Amino acid sequence: MSGSLKKAREPWFAVRRELSPQRSSVLTIVSFALPLLIWAAVSYLPFLWHPDVQLQLSANRADVSTVYVAGDRVSKSYFPEFQEAVRSQNEDLKKQLSSDDPLAGASESSVRRANKKVLRHLVPLLIQNKWIKDDQATDDEAIYHAWGELASSSRRLKSPSLSEENLAIVEDNWKAMSAIAPNYVSDNFVSTPLLSLIPQGKTSNPDYLPAPDQVLAAGVKVFSIPADGDRPSMVQRIGHSLQIVFGGFCLAALVGVPIGVVCGTYPFFSRLVEPFTDFFRYMPAPTFSTLLVAIFLANDAPKIALVFVGTFFQLVLVTANTTRRLDMPLLEAAQTLGASQRQLLTRVVVPGILPNLYDDLRILLGWAWTWLVIAELVGVKSGLTEFIETQGRFRNFDMVFPIIILIGLIGFFTDQILSLIKGLVFPYTEDGTKAASHPILKAVLFIPRLVLRLLTNRSASGTT
Amino acid sequence: MTPPTDILDYRTQSPEVSARFSKLKERPVVLSVKNLTKIFPSQNGDVTALNSIDFEVYRREFMCVIGPSGCGKSTLIRILAGLESETSGAVLLDGNPVAGPGPDRGMVFQSYTLFPWLTVKQNVLFGPKMAGQKGATVESEARQWIEMVGLSKFENSYPHQLSGGMKQRVAIARALANRPRILLMDEPFGALDAQTRCQMQSYLLKIWKNLDITILFITHDLDEATYLSDRILVLKANPGEVDEIIEVPVPRPRTVDQFVSPEFIATKHRIDELIHPKNKGGDDELHFPRMTKEGDDVE
Repeated sequence: MSGSLKKAREPWFAVRRELSPQRSSVLTIVSFALPLLIWAAVSYLPFLWHPDVQLQLSANRADVSTVYVAGDRVSKSYFPEFQEAVRSQNEDLKKQLSSDDPLAGASESSVRRANKKVLRHLVPLLIQNKWIKDDQATDDEAIYHAWGELASSSRRLKSPSLSEENLAIVEDNWKAMSAIAPNYVSDNFVSTPLLSLIPQGKTSNPDYLPAPDQVLAAGVKVFSIPADGDRPSMVQRIGHSLQIVFGGFCLAALVGVPIGVVCGTYPFFSRLVEPFTDFFRYMPAPTFSTLLVAIFLANDAPKIALVFVGTFFQLVLVTANTTRRLDMPLLEAAQTLGASQRQLLTRVVVPGILPNLYDDLRILLGWAWTWLVIAELVGVKSGLTEFIETQGRFRNFDMVFPIIILIGLIGFFTDQILSLIKGLVFPYTEDGTKAASHPILKAVLFIPRLVLRLLTNRSASGTT
Repeated sequence: MTPPTDILDYRTQSPEVSARFSKLKERPVVLSVKNLTKIFPSQNGDVTALNSIDFEVYRREFMCVIGPSGCGKSTLIRILAGLESETSGAVLLDGNPVAGPGPDRGMVFQSYTLFPWLTVKQNVLFGPKMAGQKGATVESEARQWIEMVGLSKFENSYPHQLSGGMKQRVAIARALANRPRILLMDEPFGALDAQTRCQMQSYLLKIWKNLDITILFITHDLDEATYLSDRILVLKANPGEVDEIIEVPVPRPRTVDQFVSPEFIATKHRIDELIHPKNKGGDDELHFPRMTKEGDDVE
């Protein structure tokens, strides 16, 4: 049988069985692609969610004080009610027009003012269809001209288009307008009431979930804003945020690592320091923010101090634990080889824990990142968080998302790079062997390694 | 297991072996253990791990310590190394009492204790460096030790690149580089596979032959003890006490072929008798129910 010679297919699901490298990389890609796909699907497939209607064309309701303009979102359930209200308003208006008193007691100038508003209701559609430019939103002559074109069907709005219902209203209104003057004249504008356009819109997600393309466009825009007076550019903001994260973290590491190592080495210091540290770390760092401002005043000092408070106590305990995890036989072997107490600390404990300490610090750097947002809200808001805060308050969530993603990316790539170079820093670990065969590192290190080999060969031949 | 009837008396020594032992006992005593007792205090009362142990090791002697599990052989060697303190009694090295660990007693552990961040050469140089020795002579000496354990090609390798056997060879070289008076070995080949272990035993005998070094070696392997030792210190458990010190009648130089010699078998048989007494536990007390059909016999 030919089937019996076939290699059995490796199962995708098997308890604790390693996947092949190809499968692993496929899954890594999918792990990033999947959330993106879900986000895109929810954004672009209207039937999945889209609980709101985003207005392309709005209208004023005479008896309702809330004013919606094009671009605003209303709930799907309210939208038909909104349209119906404007329709019945138009019906009433038509009755009024055919009555004896078409102005219903209003003055001609106030009707004319209201009519000019109706004239401009088409503006968002005209801009989107590129009939007029962004800066022509108040250019009534051009808008008037567009009404004429629409009414005579010489041009049609394509995307978004105008509903048949609204086209009929445009024609009706144009009859009234063109009867007065073929071109727009401010003083000679129609003074009998014009019909309102019926609101038009397309279903959409709430503003807090912008679509990927909107976020991307906003991201590009956000980064191209230059520095302006006391408003820093995005690159400057990132620099400032990095300064706070790394400032607080490095300070914590500088003080915390030695204390942790000493605690892990001498039970005396462990008993003296760790119980209080253990208690202190349960007090959330943000609760100290006002205190820190009082001590360190404004600017960056209290922010760095907050990242410090948030990481330092964890760092001491983690370092102490890592130090305690050092293989006892290594210390015993060193003693039988004649190492003194001081030498045990400097020649065995410290070099022995470095690789694990490196991993600990990598994880704690991640913690430091989580404190960043709170730190930047302390005292005078600053950096990336200040931008998120401001934009969020204006509900410009498409501007907020690029920054959130950016913070994620910086943290993720810092960690990836640190993990990649671990093997270079510690060639004697398993990571070291992996690093030696890593394609990217191989390429980067080719020249230095060649130089090193030439040098060592020379010195070897020199001694023999 | 019924004892074979044709087993030699392990006390029977050929004239050459007998002469070797009388010469050995004329040598100076390197390590002397006097009335050594170790008691571990615990909540359920004190546990006596070692009870008045007395023995002496002569210069350039190879002595193995063997015993059932829990007889305190590891505790004994840790006290000798200074890693644990005795409750009473004394340990004398060249007649001087020892206190705490020191480079005069080299130790090879069962677990791999090479410093992972140091290369093979740096590991071997660790002891001399702790003593403040540096320079070209120390380096070239270290190279010699590495050459002696056959790892010259690997002097710049890191421990994680070596096999288990290679690691233990480096550990031996590292301990010897300190020029200790005695080499203490705590089941050093226990974690190795059978073939590597056999190879390591031969290596160790060669090294021992060519050096002025006394070795105290802990094992639970009867073959290993018999193959390596001049004398075997048999401990019994609960409490750990010296049961007997056996003079191994197998002539030197030792070879693997001697594993089936009458002297070898006699020695092993005696150790087995001591550490697996017939009346206490053993195969006889186990009950095996028959779970196969009649007529489907394999014997």
